[in-house]
Amino acid sequence: MTWSMARSADAYVDTSAFIAFADRSDTHHALFRRLFSNPPAIVTTTLVVAEGHGWFLKRYDRTRGLQFLSLIEELTPLQVLAVGPDEHAAGAAVVRKYTDQDLTLTDAVGLALMTRDRIERCWSTDHHLGLGGALLAIHDPGT
Amino acid sequence: MIRTQISLSEQEYAAAKQEARRLGISLAELLRRSLRAVLPCDESRPWMRYAGMIETGDPDSSSRIDDVVYGAKR
Repeated sequence: MTWSMARSADAYVDTSAFIAFADRSDTHHALFRRLFSNPPAIVTTTLVVAEGHGWFLKRYDRTRGLQFLSLIEELTPLQVLAVGPDEHAAGAAVVRKYTDQDLTLTDAVGLALMTRDRIERCWSTDHHLGLGGALLAIHDPGT
Repeated sequence: MIRTQISLSEQEYAAAKQEARRLGISLAELLRRSLRAVLPCDESRPWMRYAGMIETGDPDSSSRIDDVVYGAKR
């Protein structure tokens, strides 16, 4: 496998963490506001960025979509990993492994990345992201 | 993790239990979430201006992303 490795990231960030951070109505907003206020080295994928941008486009408008992209660009502790054929293949293998789950390819690539780079913590409110054994921030008493 | 004890009035306890039940979480988790909401955090980083930039009115919005992006199942 030749895909780009995360530079010793402490946590993988899923789309749901960005939405909980941005949405003050979300029940987990305070948690992610605190986590993003002083983040360690964190990593996500271009699929998550595309999914988040799509959420703002559909739920709101182009302006909010651009604000989300600005958030990603300004969040300097965040490394955004590209998703190419190898990452896609690894994600597809995860989808096939969990045939009893409604996993999106975005989720699956995230799960593959956490396994590949031994990332043990995940910022997400989506329980699917815990399938590989990562500790979700919403369940982590240390957060 | 540190264990601690707090005292609540009967009304506070009943209301908190009811809210925890509504959210499907434990009383302890409800209290942890409430505490996070009132404790100050560092807002000085440039990206923190995006924190809370929207208000959907849906407490479960981050759990329903797939419905918005990919559409709800039929």
